[in-house]
Amino acid sequence: MSLKKFSELFINLDSCNSTNKKIGILQNYFSSNEALENSWTIYLLTGKNNKRFISGRSLKTLFSEIYKYPLWLIDSCYLKVGDSAEVISLLLRNVITEKNTKYKDGSLHELLNKSFPELSILKEDDKKLRVKEIWETIPKENLLVINKILTGTFRVGVSIGLITKSIAKLINIDEAIISHRLMGDFIPSEESYKLLIDKKINPSELNYKPYPFLLANTFEKKIIDKSTNDFQFEWKWDGIRIQLIKRSGKVSIWTRGQDLVNKSFPELVEKISSIKDDFVIDGELLVWDFKQSLPLNFSLLQKRINRKAPSRSIQKNLPIIFIAYDILEINGEDQRDSNLEIRRNSLEKHLYNWLNESKEELSNIFRISDLIYPKNWEEVETFKNNSRDNGTEGLVIKNKKSIYTPGRKKGLWWKYKVDPMQLDAVLIYAKGGSGIRAGLYTDYSFALWKDGELIKFASAYSGLNNTEIKELDRWIRQNTIDRFGPVRSVRPEMVFEISFENIQISKRHKSGIAVRFPRITKWRKDKLIKDADTLENAEKLMLNK
Amino acid sequence: MREDSSYLIKYTSSGLYCELADAWIDPIKPVKRALITHAHMDHFTFGCDEYISTYETASIIKERIGKEINIKTYDYEKEFKINGIKISFHPSGHILGSSQIKFNLAEEIWLITGDFKRQKDETCKEYEIVKTDYLISESTFGLPIFKWDEPQKTATDITKWVNSSQDKISILFCYSLGKAQRILNEISKTNFINNIYTHSSIYRMNNCYKKLGIDIIETKKLEQTKNNSDLKGSLIILPPSLNKNSSLKNFKDSQTGFASGWMSIRALRKRSGYDKGFSISDHADWIAILKTIKESKAKNVFFHHGDSEALNKYLKEKNSINVLEFEFKK
Repeated sequence: MSLKKFSELFINLDSCNSTNKKIGILQNYFSSNEALENSWTIYLLTGKNNKRFISGRSLKTLFSEIYKYPLWLIDSCYLKVGDSAEVISLLLRNVITEKNTKYKDGSLHELLNKSFPELSILKEDDKKLRVKEIWETIPKENLLVINKILTGTFRVGVSIGLITKSIAKLINIDEAIISHRLMGDFIPSEESYKLLIDKKINPSELNYKPYPFLLANTFEKKIIDKSTNDFQFEWKWDGIRIQLIKRSGKVSIWTRGQDLVNKSFPELVEKISSIKDDFVIDGELLVWDFKQSLPLNFSLLQKRINRKAPSRSIQKNLPIIFIAYDILEINGEDQRDSNLEIRRNSLEKHLYNWLNESKEELSNIFRISDLIYPKNWEEVETFKNNSRDNGTEGLVIKNKKSIYTPGRKKGLWWKYKVDPMQLDAVLIYAKGGSGIRAGLYTDYSFALWKDGELIKFASAYSGLNNTEIKELDRWIRQNTIDRFGPVRSVRPEMVFEISFENIQISKRHKSGIAVRFPRITKWRKDKLIKDADTLENAEKLMLNK
Repeated sequence: MREDSSYLIKYTSSGLYCELADAWIDPIKPVKRALITHAHMDHFTFGCDEYISTYETASIIKERIGKEINIKTYDYEKEFKINGIKISFHPSGHILGSSQIKFNLAEEIWLITGDFKRQKDETCKEYEIVKTDYLISESTFGLPIFKWDEPQKTATDITKWVNSSQDKISILFCYSLGKAQRILNEISKTNFINNIYTHSSIYRMNNCYKKLGIDIIETKKLEQTKNNSDLKGSLIILPPSLNKNSSLKNFKDSQTGFASGWMSIRALRKRSGYDKGFSISDHADWIAILKTIKESKAKNVFFHHGDSEALNKYLKEKNSINVLEFEFKK
């Protein structure tokens, strides 16, 4: 009875807003279920590598073909529901009559390990039959969960932290241990679950696992009551945070999102392998412009991550560097309980040795995060405001006495980001949202003036509150000029203040610019469209940054 | 196709209108003569010279607005004439007193369904199948994703929800007229063991239903000063307009739920801000709309109320009925 159980778990968690209650629900579930099923549950709940067996589009097509249902009707439903898996689950209730079906309860293991992976090797017709069979033999309450797993979109409001807490409570063991065990890969099996809940801690078990990351809080004004001498100041780089691990001579590069990315950065693996010590170092990976000594656009870094086994020329054209922030382990010894000052000294000392001992190439790729020494908080402000000059997005401020603990604990590290750049732009297109925003027009495109014409320059979908979203949705419906599929072009009338972190030349966009993290910060009802900014203003921002 | 103006019923800025009878159906602006399908306030406008409805609808409206209006009543099935047009009310199954309105002129029949449902509901008369030539149907839930569960299943879910949280106050939001009484009726058939409190607006409607001969279980009227600890484990039924109202802050340790057909969609459930959504509706779902069209034997259908794009296209593709759209000029 385990698919049913999992489905109930989903429904219970989905309709529960209290953290404590969720922990209770999870504890109950884990303690009353088999180890193998629990391991698959953790795999699904942590959403680590939820595999997509069938795309949302194919799921709709399959349904349409099996039950002779017009595809356009399924698409109309999708606009209201915002989730392919849910649309199909709802529609299935119309086509499956209960009397004709023999229900059986499957196990997660059977589905995820056998039935679903097998789908990919089937021919279209066989696939149709198999999916039909799955749909028609599973009790209808479980269909939503099944379809979500099939499309790789299973998600429920439970964080890894919450799962960690529940398991730690269940077996009465320190949360840090469970959190560490859950880092990195988690391959579902009876064994992996048993290891997870083992009260005995085997020192070598965590060999390839990264430590849980210490995350910075947003800057709080109250810390300026203290002396700047109590803090360590560094630049905030806009790359990907990683842990560089070398244990027993073996290198692994883990991202904060817990992906192992050795394959994307072979040059880093190679250089690091030559270092004599073992270690775990926390730092940032960037694509670097060596001529200007500045980081390159984040999108290029993304390109590097996505490219497994990059060619020599890619490695040459998009060279990476690693900037070390912190040392967490040296030659098997956990350093995290030492305070930051001690760790920083250790990091400097070791890096100095490694660079000295190695051939000079190591210093190209392996760097240390420079410290900044503002004399007072006014200077901190100045440093922050000038951070764009060296391609950073602000400062990270660290309490010198802080130890390295998991998560976003208060009073340890803060990020102090430079104020965003802003432009006033005109709403020109809107697209229906998905997920929780289904049925509302919530994905907006904005334009700037150029020679009397509005040119699209950014899309954004966050920043408005629910009341504003509803109001704008109504306005969009009443002011639609044209429709292209799910997109409506609207009368240019509404002006919004758009904030973003960075602006860059881009050949891919008609406007010739690309912005990073665009979001709406104000609905400028006080402005007319003629008051909106021009592309020229955007270009000025680019020059001045 | 005929010109809009030659139809017996057409659409105007005040709502559906029968020119020959000089009568509007559920007008949205004050008019001379208003035929009222049911007593929900979005179907009623103050200031009309004359109202016509069923007896039950008239009683509920008078109770709600608390004053006399010029309202004439007819029983279901009873035919009456205005300017030679034969008109009659027929049960629509939406709420107590709700009706479809049939127009008959020279053997051409028009039927306006009003809001209707085909599910069982012991608090009102069941939907009557009426044969017609022209059907004007509501389409509030005109997509196949809407398929209602048996009301007993939803009632059992509500009971479970309350019973399993005895340490909490359970606050269920639903429309005070119709839905509240239906839910009370349905949960009285489950093993519901707790106290039920109702908001004064719902309490009043319960009494009104009882006066009209409908069995509604006893509930306590929610008093402003009610001590919080007395309410633990009980169910409080409130109209949705009170959600997020400051007076709710007095209810500590509470869980909230909303009973509505829209709650069958997860995104709407999540967006609504209620802890729990119960899908139960007094409108027809997709299958019921299609079934109703078929059973009415109508050759022509219009949709009114709600998004009818999908229904229009679906029926046009099926090609079994003539789908018409009101041409409406503001």
